[in-house]
Amino acid sequence: MLLEPAQTTNYMILGLSVIVGAILLFVGSLAVRFRNLRQDLQVLKEVEHDEPEG
Amino acid sequence: MESTPRGLKWLSAVTGVLFLIALGMVLFYAPEEAVMGNVQRVFYFHVSAGWVGGLAFLVTAVAGIVYLMRSDPKWDRVAQASVEVGIVFTLINIVSGSIWARPIWNTWWTWDPRLVTATVMELIYLAYVMLRQGIEDPERRARFGSVYGIVGFISVPITFLSIRLLRTIHPVVIGSSDPSAQGAFDMTPAMLQTFMFSLLTFTLVYATLLWHRLRLQRLMERVEQMKMKVFAS
Repeated sequence: MLLEPAQTTNYMILGLSVIVGAILLFVGSLAVRFRNLRQDLQVLKEVEHDEPEG
Repeated sequence: MESTPRGLKWLSAVTGVLFLIALGMVLFYAPEEAVMGNVQRVFYFHVSAGWVGGLAFLVTAVAGIVYLMRSDPKWDRVAQASVEVGIVFTLINIVSGSIWARPIWNTWWTWDPRLVTATVMELIYLAYVMLRQGIEDPERRARFGSVYGIVGFISVPITFLSIRLLRTIHPVVIGSSDPSAQGAFDMTPAMLQTFMFSLLTFTLVYATLLWHRLRLQRLMERVEQMKMKVFAS
């Protein structure tokens, strides 16, 4: 008698979602940190430019 | 900050396409495993994530050695960037393994040698990040980080060998499993092709993320230097 494979599709969906989701989350965190640092750099450049010489 | 290099744009695009192909192969090309069913498909990305974790920590150790020899901050940046990617992928490896284990071992977690060594390895590299955050002087931080990254790498071969040397229920897919292993299976040619393709794709994902993270590191340092310059004037 042949046995059917176990019904584990829900766990597969959960597992693959966690993997893809975690990678996307990391990519998103890189993008957010890039954006924030660029904004900081812009502000610092403006402050440096506004300061009087000497 | 200079715009994204053309090579990185291409690498990101190619990696994205390869990742989608790998996901397609996992879902539609590889056959359903005869006993475990569809949850076995998690294996392709689970092992690949573990591989990236180990590779990332190896790069950290090598970069640490080179930094100690040359004192070039570029290598410290590589070590730091690689650790962050390694921590993310080791976490993916542990969590996806736990999800696979629930229907196969009937538990989310067990104190098996592989699970314990992988978790200890993750904690060792989280401590690396904390150590660096606790040191103000950049040169000292880089030196301590390099030594820690080299010594911490011992945890990687221990994790790899734990299922080959110790009594465990974790299956060994390449090589022979312990007789008490639960969830072992033989790979068909289509499964093997999917597995190898996933490994290649995740290696490229690592290279892409490392490159992006390195650029972020340079930008962070530039902002820090700018802050010091502005506040000093």
